[in-house]
Amino acid sequence: MSFALMILENVLRMAEENGARAVKKIRVEVGELLMVNPDQLEFCFRAISKNTPAENADLEIETLKAKSLCQSCGSELDSVHSRCSCGGWMEIRGGKEIVLRRIEMEVEDAQDRN
Amino acid sequence: MHRIEIEAEINLMNENRRYARENRKILRENGAVAVNIMGAIGSGKTLLIEKTVEMLGDVKIGVILGDVVCSADYSRISKYDVCARAINTGKECHLDAHLIHETLKMMSGLDLILIENVGNLVCPVDFDLGENFRVVIVSVTEGDDVVEKHPEIFRLADVIIINKIGLAEYVDADVDKMERDARKLNEKAKIIKMDLKLNAGLGEWIEFLRGVLDVSRNSGRSCRT
Ligand SMILES: Nc1nc2c(ncn2[C@@H]2O[C@H](COP(=O)(O)OP(=O)(O)OP(=O)(O)O)[C@@H](O)[C@H]2O)c(=O)[nH]1
Ligand SMILES: [Mg+2]
Ligand SMILES: [Zn+2]
Repeated sequence: MSFALMILENVLRMAEENGARAVKKIRVEVGELLMVNPDQLEFCFRAISKNTPAENADLEIETLKAKSLCQSCGSELDSVHSRCSCGGWMEIRGGKEIVLRRIEMEVEDAQDRN
Repeated sequence: MHRIEIEAEINLMNENRRYARENRKILRENGAVAVNIMGAIGSGKTLLIEKTVEMLGDVKIGVILGDVVCSADYSRISKYDVCARAINTGKECHLDAHLIHETLKMMSGLDLILIENVGNLVCPVDFDLGENFRVVIVSVTEGDDVVEKHPEIFRLADVIIINKIGLAEYVDADVDKMERDARKLNEKAKIIKMDLKLNAGLGEWIEFLRGVLDVSRNSGRSCRT
């Protein structure tokens, strides 16, 4: 629940700063190793964004893959491995970030207000 | 009416770190020590808290229980004369700094806050709660390779408890191997071999807590003068 809340808080703050009346689209990227279930995140977000300017926003969630880097030969793989095909040990990079990347919102023009 | 697009680029992990810093500040102001107790489901987290509460009758204790759905642990703890709060984490597999923030703010006038994290050896690692000490409790019934299989959580622990040692012979677990694995991963941690049913190792644990409470009390006193 709390990532959903952090997303909502930040989105609403930015909507207010920009004088937006509705948030249309939110893009979030989640590292796979955080074990965040996108459906669960979306469900929570829907529940808590009711009656806010973000209630009808599209929530786009992309999962970021972790990478493995071989400590011996330097080769890089796009998934989690402990051993490289060369026999070397692999180090895991990334996969633990969660980023609120982009927000699209609807803003009133000056003439709309008249 | 027109649409605008904002590149927000907000790293929400930093938000957790920000709340963790705030939590740490609240604890400092309240003169309380917080202990984050992590471990797999059924490793003995709640029983450790119950025994601790029984043995530290003179200490003002608060307990925060990170419960996935039901509040069985909460009813176990609320029998005691302590300030207990359950945090329903939904399907979340860990507590985070933001989830406990409001609860911590309400818990003033306490010396020690014990936080039972959600039963899991993987996810809680990445979330600093603002706690002062991290404890990992594993039981021999999880298999004596449980330590080497979850290196990260042991690397970051201040205290590693190997629990249910009385059952080791029945499940063919090598307690000394578990201790060696833990030591290999973490040079500094205090390692305690324990059995909560046999009251083994509890003295060492209580001694550890009394030690950190003394330090906290003394530093609090020098701050205020
Ligand atoms: N024999 C033995 N049983 C223990 C010991 N510690 C805990 N238990 C038992 O193990 C079971 C689980 O203990 P809990 O304290 O509920 O474990 P927990 O980590 O809080 O479990 P969750 O909250 O479900 O993640 C209970 O039936 C305890 O009585 C021990 O040292 N020896
Ligand atoms: Mg429990
Ligand atoms: Zn290689």
